[in-house]
Amino acid sequence: MADKNLKLRLDNFKKWIPKVILVSKTLFVLSKKSIKSFIFYFKIWLLMSKNSFLGVLTQKKVLLIFLFGKILRFIFFIVFLLFIIKGVNNLAGYSTNQTIFFFLSFSVVDTISQFLFREVYRFRSQIVTGDFDLVLSKPISALFRVLLGGADVMDFITIPPLFAATYYVGSLLNPDVNQVILYLLLILSALIISAGFHILVMSLGIITLEIDHTMMIYRDLSSMGRFPIDIYQKPLRGILTYFIPIGIMMTLPTKALIGLVNIKGAFISFIIAFFIMFLSLRFWNFALRKYSSASS
Amino acid sequence: MRKFLKRKFNRYLAVFTISFKQEFAYRLNFIMWRVRNVLQIFVTFFLWNAIFYTQDRVVFGYDRSKILTYVFGLIFIRAIVLSSRSIDVAGDISRGDLNNYLVKPINYFLYWLTRDISSKFLNVIFAVGEAFLLFIILRPPFFLQTNIIQLVTFLCALIFAILIYFILLFMVNSIPFWAPELGWGGHFLVSVVIVEFLSGAMFPIDVLPLVFQKILYLTPFPYLIFFPIEIYLGKIQGLMLVKGLTISLFWIIALWFLMKKIWDKGLKAYQAYGR
Repeated sequence: MADKNLKLRLDNFKKWIPKVILVSKTLFVLSKKSIKSFIFYFKIWLLMSKNSFLGVLTQKKVLLIFLFGKILRFIFFIVFLLFIIKGVNNLAGYSTNQTIFFFLSFSVVDTISQFLFREVYRFRSQIVTGDFDLVLSKPISALFRVLLGGADVMDFITIPPLFAATYYVGSLLNPDVNQVILYLLLILSALIISAGFHILVMSLGIITLEIDHTMMIYRDLSSMGRFPIDIYQKPLRGILTYFIPIGIMMTLPTKALIGLVNIKGAFISFIIAFFIMFLSLRFWNFALRKYSSASS
Repeated sequence: MRKFLKRKFNRYLAVFTISFKQEFAYRLNFIMWRVRNVLQIFVTFFLWNAIFYTQDRVVFGYDRSKILTYVFGLIFIRAIVLSSRSIDVAGDISRGDLNNYLVKPINYFLYWLTRDISSKFLNVIFAVGEAFLLFIILRPPFFLQTNIIQLVTFLCALIFAILIYFILLFMVNSIPFWAPELGWGGHFLVSVVIVEFLSGAMFPIDVLPLVFQKILYLTPFPYLIFFPIEIYLGKIQGLMLVKGLTISLFWIIALWFLMKKIWDKGLKAYQAYGR
């Protein structure tokens, strides 16, 4: 009886072998294609970033003044925050180092987003003048071009010291390896959400021709994440957690580093991130159909 | 003489009316700008609300009602002091559009001051509505100042603040005379970074250690936002009040002469690029 069962199982397994091989082959081809495509787009990104950097570097005075302003703003904020927390001992139960780390994590997400997605701020003129036609006619993804086509050199310069400061303050919180991994994963999830929001704003821009203000409102909303989301009262806290997930983007990574979020929280964060990305991509495709190519 | 003054007044009244109507030409711009102001107030309000979670807590010399009045005061004071049209002057210079004004029988500073007042007027109307709405939503404890001297000096400090900011802006606006590409950069550094933090528009100055405060009080920045609100809250009185008003007045006069000097030099350097 046992032999018969074994034989049946083996027969079943043999039937599955060709299918498994086919799937593996497909996956292999797909992954090979994906890697090829990734390398292709990465090369284009490098080229576009280089052009963007060179464009900014031609105006060194402007670069210096903005860079100085950005650094000064960052220092002012940290100094004020330090003195406030020093005077009140804690903010919503978080210590000085934890509160500073909330701000640093916010800055990491915000600065990387601005570094990568700076081209979004120039998208309106492409839509209004009809120059977007030139992007659409190129043999690369139009979304890739308008989302990642103009990396910001100013943010690029500020990223290393920001990382160093985040690493230093983070190490003062004594996290274990799991907490650090969770933190990094949640930062990645935050960047996916941020990309999703940028795509939504651009899609809305194609339909309404309004981008700059929507972008600034998004930035004002996201700046609410400079402090732990716990300081906001209900229902605002709920809105900032579930509706406009600023809390998930900005607060959750720090909470993970101080051990207040487990793997389940990170999983939910990724589900929300992919859902927003899915929605924004659908909306982008919808918006493209509404593009009128006016003025071109 | 009377006729002459009346004619002059009518001229600037026309500028005021046109500028006021112009604000409505870009309604979405204006509404979005107000929405952004409200969002910024939200952050500041909830930050202080979290710090003053108990009614009787006193920190940095503020109790709950005074700090939340400070935050609400920011809506008005920002609308009155920081809303401005003269920020566009830098663009006029870098594009060469300044020519259009130089040939007109109009005082350029008065022209922009009138436009500024028009912008402030509209912003204050909206600020009243926003404050009322936020007051209903957030229901904060509010400190009502009843001392007439404090109220009069508060208005005085407010007028001084408007003038200081106007002159400061014109100084920054002069940068494009020599470096046309730096118009917005200068504004970013001065209006968005320095004024925002050092005027008390983000946090009250007195959260800083005394040494920093003393240094800051010698600069014009705290007299833009922090000083008027502190007068309203009754935290600055007597000799301190007189001293503060005197320093404000000093800054108005000193900055005015400095600005005039910069402006005259700038006009000599002006090459009307783009024309």
